[in-house]
Amino acid sequence: MRALVGSRLFWFGAVVLVAAAVLPLWVSGYVLGLLTVAYYTAVFAMSWDLLFGFAGEVNFGPTFLIGLGAYTAGILDSQFSPDLSIWWCILAGAAAAVVGGVVLALPALRVSGPYFGLTTLVAVLMLQNFIVVFADLTGGEIGLPVPDVITIDAKLNYLIAFGFMLVAGGILFGLSRSAIGLILQASGQDAVQAGALGFNVSKHKLFAFAVSAFFSGLSGALMVFYLGTASVGTFVDIGVGVQVIIAAVLGGRRTVLGAAIGAVFLIVMGEGLRPLGELATLIVSVTALLVILFFPNGFLGMIRGGSRA
Amino acid sequence: MIFWQILVDGFAISALYALGATGFTLIFGVSGVLNLSHGAIMVAAAVAAWAATGLLHAGPYVGALAGIVVGVLLAFATYALTVRPIQRSRRIAEAEKEIFILTATLLWGIIIQEAIAYLFTNNAKTVLPIVEGVVTVLGVRTPRNEYFTAVICWAAIGLLWLFVNRTRSGKAVLAASMNPRGVTLLGFELSTIYLVVWGIYGLLAGSAGVLLGMFLGVSSYSVGPLTASAFSIVVLGGLGSVSGSLIAAYVVGYLETATAYLVSPEYRTIPALLLLVAVMYLRPQGLFGRR
Amino acid sequence: MNDAPMLEVSGLTKRFGGLVAVKDLEFEIRPGEILGLIGPNGSGKSTVMKMIMGVVRPSSGSIKLDGVELAGLPAHKIARRGVGLVFQHSRPLNRQTVLENIKVALLPDSLLALFADRGVDGQARAIAERVGLGHLLDRKPPTLAFADLRRLELAKAVARHPKLVLVDEPFAGLTASEVGQFSTLIKEFRDDGRAVLLVDHNVKSVSALVDRVLALYLGERIAEGSAADVMQDETVRRVYLGGALTGSTRSRQFAADSAPVLTVETVSVLYGKAQALQGVSLYVHEGEFVSLVGLNGAGKTTLFNAICGLVPYSGAIRWGGTALDGRSPASIARGGIVQCPETRELFGDMSVRENLELGGDHLDTAERLERLDWLYDLFPILKGRQAQNARTLSGGEQQMLAIARALMMKPKLLILDEPTLGLAPVILETLSKALERLRRDSPITILLGEQNVTFALPHADRVYVLDHARIAWEGPPGRFEAEAAQHYL
Repeated sequence: MRALVGSRLFWFGAVVLVAAAVLPLWVSGYVLGLLTVAYYTAVFAMSWDLLFGFAGEVNFGPTFLIGLGAYTAGILDSQFSPDLSIWWCILAGAAAAVVGGVVLALPALRVSGPYFGLTTLVAVLMLQNFIVVFADLTGGEIGLPVPDVITIDAKLNYLIAFGFMLVAGGILFGLSRSAIGLILQASGQDAVQAGALGFNVSKHKLFAFAVSAFFSGLSGALMVFYLGTASVGTFVDIGVGVQVIIAAVLGGRRTVLGAAIGAVFLIVMGEGLRPLGELATLIVSVTALLVILFFPNGFLGMIRGGSRA
Repeated sequence: MIFWQILVDGFAISALYALGATGFTLIFGVSGVLNLSHGAIMVAAAVAAWAATGLLHAGPYVGALAGIVVGVLLAFATYALTVRPIQRSRRIAEAEKEIFILTATLLWGIIIQEAIAYLFTNNAKTVLPIVEGVVTVLGVRTPRNEYFTAVICWAAIGLLWLFVNRTRSGKAVLAASMNPRGVTLLGFELSTIYLVVWGIYGLLAGSAGVLLGMFLGVSSYSVGPLTASAFSIVVLGGLGSVSGSLIAAYVVGYLETATAYLVSPEYRTIPALLLLVAVMYLRPQGLFGRR
Repeated sequence: MNDAPMLEVSGLTKRFGGLVAVKDLEFEIRPGEILGLIGPNGSGKSTVMKMIMGVVRPSSGSIKLDGVELAGLPAHKIARRGVGLVFQHSRPLNRQTVLENIKVALLPDSLLALFADRGVDGQARAIAERVGLGHLLDRKPPTLAFADLRRLELAKAVARHPKLVLVDEPFAGLTASEVGQFSTLIKEFRDDGRAVLLVDHNVKSVSALVDRVLALYLGERIAEGSAADVMQDETVRRVYLGGALTGSTRSRQFAADSAPVLTVETVSVLYGKAQALQGVSLYVHEGEFVSLVGLNGAGKTTLFNAICGLVPYSGAIRWGGTALDGRSPASIARGGIVQCPETRELFGDMSVRENLELGGDHLDTAERLERLDWLYDLFPILKGRQAQNARTLSGGEQQMLAIARALMMKPKLLILDEPTLGLAPVILETLSKALERLRRDSPITILLGEQNVTFALPHADRVYVLDHARIAWEGPPGRFEAEAAQHYL
């Protein structure tokens, strides 16, 4: 039965992806731009979901990793352009995020429950303050304009984001289903048992952090060179972090792919409600709260097996 | 004379932080919930007071009362709409409930924040102060309101202390924070205790919000930083320890004030944040943490 | 079969602060041998097992597996050297299938293990077949029966053919036929040439399986030998059955022929999948003192929690004729049934007096003070320590406070769960005297749950024995030693 649903979902998904790939032929630049942001957000959400599934704890500050990636890339470019190619900046952004992720993981993994969440939240606050205080370097609250972008062609930007999402999603999903994914799940669900089965849990959780950080930072860096600017409001703010978490929960925790669905849904819905002004965020938040209360397993969870946990 | 300035300003600001943090810690200590909509409740109370005095032209006392009432109502709403449904839910695994409650209260805070922005715009608002005028002490000119704020905060904290340590129902609440199983065994209904605690929390957060509105003013943008500073203080002091929160509030309050005066107002949040990072690395349970 | 020992433990000691949990323990297990490590709660047996597995670090001593020193290594390294552990409580990965659960046990500890070795799947299936899970490979743990979950634990532990297998409470929660099947499996591990260590609190349950028994008490070895020898050993009998069993004259008459005030009718409780209570029936008359005797895990606490409304159950529990089902625990407490649990649940940061006053919260001031005075008379040491924080009291004083606090509520039925656990004999005397005075001075009904038979018997009007979730015996204390003791060793 599951196999049947699985393959039906699979074919449905394949059709959607093909449609998405050829979308640029028919749709306006505005819609493409919206979906580009949605795809980068999807990678944020998928990276978060991987960490959640593996570390077994909720990271309340995904924007620490995203922000590190985005700002490192942005600052390097604004300082060294045109001597430094943006691709080096992007790579540096991803690397900075990985370093940041490991540094965060060390204290965070020593504690559990609310302390872990708080540690990650504190990291975001730190980054936010740092950016605001050192405004000469970072552009402060106003934002940092970067001199280069990947391209100004909306279609090309869309395809790059789409392709990146596919590759990142494929890798993250593949990881979650692989043998090492199994070990990581064991480490997250029951560290003592995993140890008794012969696994060095700390090593594996650190690895999960590093992978999540890499993709978050990389996506953040790429997005900077799409938007042409880095700002606290887009990459670091707690509100952005909440969006990432909601996307993953809406789509279905620990499914990885669900997070992508949730992200696209949130971004599109948020944009669709924009005419309502302030009410837009309100409606999205209320929807998200209702989903958490009544459908804790999210979209993919609902499709797979009802609303029981 | 800058020393006195720092002393007075720091004291008032710390007192305000302390009042907010105490409520936050009380809720965590008794019902185990980290209420991330804390800042939103404070701002909502302040805005309600502002609306009462500014839009409805009520007097400052009525305005303050309106704000506190809104605080209490929102506290109960938080419990009834986000915390209790998840605690009782059969669809969510026990181990995940804490995470869900955290996320739900975060969302609820955003909902309140956006509602405020929608209904009243996100401009900064000050609440009509109960005490006006300026007073000069030791060469330092300070608004009377500042002294008033500090006095009221400490009066509220004092009343809370009296309640918890000297009244029978207060002792039951204190006992519940130490051992919920224990109070059940003695015939106290936990559900009643939770209602009392959330009500007290509403009073504390509402008062802190109204006082903040009178002292410095608020806007819907204040919500995030208020929640952030409350839980930084509570983490520093130790989750669940009220005395820890009080001390940490003063540490943070004075660090911020001193930095603002001696270095630059822009950097004022940095030392407290660095202290928080150090505590996270060296002593994650905070100064006086229990759990 | 090799003669060199597979596991050599010597000088093994563990201190937790001031408490010595395990003291200078020494023993060995040969390949192809099953050793039973027996002891009551607090004997240190679980700590010994955790030290061998690396979950707990020894304070001193040596643990050698096939000549290799293991003491102090982290758990995952010990596992890789050839030790497998079956935990007392099943810990499956609930979101993975049975097959995947077993596969995890076969994977290498590597970050690069993207694709499992081709053989892993086949190996996992073979192991599943062997333990009897072959037909359940695609199911997930929440859908499995209790015994099958235990099989899964066995499968995981032996997946990598460890040299030493540790099994914690192998038969807890299993039916008689399941016990037989598991015994056969464990014997097969032994016949494969492995060393097996079984940890349990009851010699009888493992006596058919083990080659040798090592009995522990308070962290030290008190007997070693064949199962039969150990069961006859004087020290062991004293520790398990207590000292000379004497009855005592009951100073109160109770209405034995009237209707019981508390009835428990075929009550069963499931904790997840484990049957914690099975068809338990008992009754208590007003004014009676009933002792419920049973070892750890027998189900005493579960029964008390069911009576007090803290766990769901099937069956009926009636108090004064009306059913208790559906009432909140607090309301049952207010209704006159007060439990003093094993964990005492004191308010550590409050003073002795404050704890007591909370117990008497519902009384008016005059009554409360009167009750307080009466209790200070019953437990004089509490009076002296009125202002002291409960957390700083000694174990015996805490127990007295817990009982006194429960008595502040003026209960009609007082339930005491293992009041003597961890207390020195001198304190037991004080408690015993206090209980006698209590019964003499007031019309109270008492239900006492204990593993310490010496304490439980003298006061009792009637005794029940609870064994593995069922009532095994009922009768007057005088007949206990003759008829019931065999259930106990």
